[in-house]
Amino acid sequence: MIHPVDILLALVLLSVLISFGSSRLPTLIKALAFQGVVVSIVPFFLGHDLTVGGVVFTLITMLIRGIGIPLCIYQVIKKVAIKREVEPIIGYNASLLAGLLLIVAAAFVSPKFNLPQTSVHALLLPTAITLLVAGMFLLMARRNAIAMVLGYIMMENGIYVVGTSFSMRTHHIVEFGILLDVLAGVMIMAIILQNIKQTYDDVDTAHLRTLKE
Amino acid sequence: MVEFVFIAPMLTGIIAFFLPPTAGRLLLVLTGAIHLALSLMLWVLRPEALFPAYFAVTPEGLLSLLVISLLFFLISIYTTAYLKTSDIRSEHIFSGSMLLFLSTMTMVTLSDHIMVMWIAIEATTLASAPLIYTHRSAASLEATWKYVLICSVGIALALLGSVFITLSMDVGGLDVPVAFSSLTDVARQLDPLWLKTGFVFILVGYGTKMGLAPMHTWLPDAHSEAPSPASALLSGVLLNCAYLGIFKTNKVMHAAGLGDFSGTILMTFGLVSILAAATFILKQTEYKRLLAYSSIENMGIIAFGTGIGGLGAYGAVLCLIHHSLIKSSLFLCSGNILLGYGDRLIAATGQLARRMPKTFVAFFSGFAGISGFPPFGIFIGELFIIMAAFRTGHYLAVGLFILSLCVIFAGFTRHVMKISFEDVDTTIQIEEKSIMVWPQYALLTTSLVLCFWIPETLYQTIVQAVATVGGGF
Repeated sequence: MIHPVDILLALVLLSVLISFGSSRLPTLIKALAFQGVVVSIVPFFLGHDLTVGGVVFTLITMLIRGIGIPLCIYQVIKKVAIKREVEPIIGYNASLLAGLLLIVAAAFVSPKFNLPQTSVHALLLPTAITLLVAGMFLLMARRNAIAMVLGYIMMENGIYVVGTSFSMRTHHIVEFGILLDVLAGVMIMAIILQNIKQTYDDVDTAHLRTLKE
Repeated sequence: MVEFVFIAPMLTGIIAFFLPPTAGRLLLVLTGAIHLALSLMLWVLRPEALFPAYFAVTPEGLLSLLVISLLFFLISIYTTAYLKTSDIRSEHIFSGSMLLFLSTMTMVTLSDHIMVMWIAIEATTLASAPLIYTHRSAASLEATWKYVLICSVGIALALLGSVFITLSMDVGGLDVPVAFSSLTDVARQLDPLWLKTGFVFILVGYGTKMGLAPMHTWLPDAHSEAPSPASALLSGVLLNCAYLGIFKTNKVMHAAGLGDFSGTILMTFGLVSILAAATFILKQTEYKRLLAYSSIENMGIIAFGTGIGGLGAYGAVLCLIHHSLIKSSLFLCSGNILLGYGDRLIAATGQLARRMPKTFVAFFSGFAGISGFPPFGIFIGELFIIMAAFRTGHYLAVGLFILSLCVIFAGFTRHVMKISFEDVDTTIQIEEKSIMVWPQYALLTTSLVLCFWIPETLYQTIVQAVATVGGGF
C-alpha cells in the first residue's frame, strides 16, 4: 500500500513541475499556495507523537505557509496590475525537462544518505532536495522579481520538510520564530516589489543592474 | 536580566515609529546610553539568562555586545547632528529601524540555541532593510532588493546547515539541548559527516551576510546607498554578528576534532575575499564603495585568522574589535564628506585637509589604522595572524595574504591622497560641527588605547573566547 505521506509528497513534486511550466504569475502563486498547505500537513501523517501544541502549531504553519505568504504576494499583483508573464531566461519546456531530470536525480542520490526515515517514506528526501534545488532554479532562471521571491519561498518549504521530518528536536516556539521571520521577510519583499513597480513600471530585474562592482 | 538588554531597544524602537523627529533623535541617544550601561552590567555580573535553553552570556557574545553597544551609543550621537543637516523623509522609520536593528543584533550576541541564533540573524536583515532604502532613490531600491534577497537566500542555507547539525545529534544518538554551549561539550559524539555538511552550509549562509567573497555582491551596494550612520552600523557591527554564527560553529568543529577541516575552508574563503577586495578596490570611483570593499578585505582577514587558529584566532578577534572601531569612524567621516561636497564620487572631492580639517584628521588616521599601521590595533592583529600562518607552515597562503594587503594599501592610498590633497573647485556646503567629528575621535582613541593597553578583564575574555580553537599565546 502506498503511504499517505508519499501521496502528499507526490503532490508537492507535481506543484514543482506546474510552477516550472507555467508562464502566468497567478498560476505560479496558486501552485506555491497548494505546495505550502501540503508541505505543512505532512507532519500529521509521519507517525510522530502529536501533542496538542504540535497540532496547533502545524495548523498555524498551514495558515501562514498556505494562505498568509501567497496572499502577500497575490496582493502585490492585484494592487499594481503587474504584467503577468514571468520573463524566463530558460524557456518553459526546457524548465520542465530540467524539473523532471531534477526529480530523477534527487530520487537517485537520496538512498546514499542512509537516513533512518527514508526507508519508510521513500519520497521524503527526494522531495526535500527537489524543493531546495527547484527554488534555486526559479531564482536564477526567471527575471521577474515576483517569480524570484516565489523561488525563495519554495526553498524555505524544502528546508521545512527537512526540518520537520528528519529531526524533531526543535521546540515549537523556536519553529514559530522561524516562521515569523520568513513571513516578515516575504512581507518586506512584497513592499520592495511594490516600490520597484512604482519606480520602473515593471518588475523585470533587468532594470536592477545599474550598481556594479 | 539578560533578555532585557535586547527587549529594551525593541520596545523603544516600536515607540520611535510614532514619535516626531526631535523626540525620536533623543530616544536614539537615550536608548544607546541605557544599552551601554546594561551591556557593562552584563560584562561585570555575567548573570544566568531567564531562558537558559535559548540565551546565554558567552565570552565571544560579550565581546561583540560591548562593541555593538559602544558603537551604537557614539553613532547615535552623530546621527542626531546628521539628521538635522541632511533631509531624510519619514525620519521616524529611520529612528525606529535603527533601534530594532540594535535589538536584533543584541539578540544575536546573546543567543545560544542554534535556531534562535538563526532567527536573530535573519531578523537583523529585516530590521536593517528600511535603513538602506532611506533615501528612496532608484539606486537605493536596487540595493535594498539585492540585500534582502541575497541575504535571505544565503541565510536560508544557514538554516539548512543548522538543521543538519541537529541531524548530526540524531544520527549520533544524543539527547542534549540544541545550544552551542552544550554541543561543544558533547561534540565528539556528534556524527562527523552531518556536522561537516552543516558547517559548510552555515559558513556559506552566514558568510553571505558577513560579506565573504564570492557571496559579497550585496555589500558594496548596501553600504554605499545607506545613510552614513547606518553604513557605519552595517559595516562595524552587523558583519561581526554574522561572523559570530560562524565562530561558534567553528568552536563546535574544533571540539569535535574537525578543526583542520573547518580551518582549511575558512582560510580559503578568507583568502578569496582578500583577493577579490584587492582586485576591485583599485578601480573604485565612489569613496563609500571603497570603504565597503575594505570591509570585505577585513572580513577576509578575520576568516583567514580564525581558520589558522591558535595565535591567528587571537589576532582575528583583535582585528574584529579594531575593524569595528576604525571602519565605523571612517563611514561617519564619509557622511561628513558627502554632506560637505554633495557628491559620492571620489572625482568630485579634494583638498579635504584644508576644507574640512577636523574630518580630515579623523579620516586620515582612520585610513592609516585600517591599512594596518601602528599605533592602531589592526596592525597587531594582522601581525599575529601572519606569525601564526608562518608557524603552521602555510607559506603560500601567507604570501598571497601579504601581497594582497600591499595591493589594497596601494589602491587605497591613491584614492585617499586624491580626496585629501588634490585640487578641486567646489565649495563646502556645511559648517563642520564638532559633534559630527568627536564620535569619530572617540572611536579612534579607543582603538589607539586598546593597542597599547588591554584591560585584564578584556584580555581574559578574548582568551576564553578563543580557548577552544587553540587560541592565545
